[in-house]
Amino acid sequence: MIGNDVVDLALARTESNWKRKGFLQKIFTPNERSQILNSEKPEVKVWELWSRKEAAYKIWNRESNLRLYHPMKFECSDEISDYGKVSFENQVYFTNTDVSDERISSIAVCVKSDFDAIIHLKSRNGIVKENGIPSLNKKPVSISHHGRFEQIISIL
Amino acid sequence: MNREEAISKLKDIVKPYVKDQEAFENLNESTDFINDLKINSANLVDIVLDVEEAFGIEIDNVSMEKMTSVNAALEIIDTKLAEK
Repeated sequence: MIGNDVVDLALARTESNWKRKGFLQKIFTPNERSQILNSEKPEVKVWELWSRKEAAYKIWNRESNLRLYHPMKFECSDEISDYGKVSFENQVYFTNTDVSDERISSIAVCVKSDFDAIIHLKSRNGIVKENGIPSLNKKPVSISHHGRFEQIISIL
Repeated sequence: MNREEAISKLKDIVKPYVKDQEAFENLNESTDFINDLKINSANLVDIVLDVEEAFGIEIDNVSMEKMTSVNAALEIIDTKLAEK
């Protein structure tokens, strides 16, 4: 299974005030909060960690068919490497995050080697929804749209 | 506080975050914040914080887990007000 999440930084700036009292405490674990506060660009770090949590949540949500609003349960590790890890209970998801001045996008997979099989789709043509989960030619699709940006991915 | 008062207070809270105005006009107990009102999931935290302020309650993470609909929010508000 795959999941993705895109953040339009300009829109995030108008929609959310991450400095609001209690905001970080409700979303991020102590370890994640120290990653944010020690970062040179705390705002970018907030949305980077958020997009990783969201991308991992999408996989969990699709596999469990359950909903849960508890962002802190999906914890981002802070290791420096080509990919990130997000843990949920005893499950680990791998994330690949792309950061630019305008947007942040994260892709989550269950198995690291799946990163090589991710494909980007240019349109929604041919995508069907089965039990609320989009797919193309029987392969899972994940769509994320925020502000000016949309990212549609599938897997070979 | 009765159910109607609580709904109306909750409606004022969610209003600034709503992306689907038509669904907002038709808001009822079964309205889902994300699927119906198209509220951005990051803004659900703002709703939780606003509810805490407006009702003078504290919403723990386990309660927050379920707070994705009007109905769930009303139940949590009820429970927390009763605990005060």
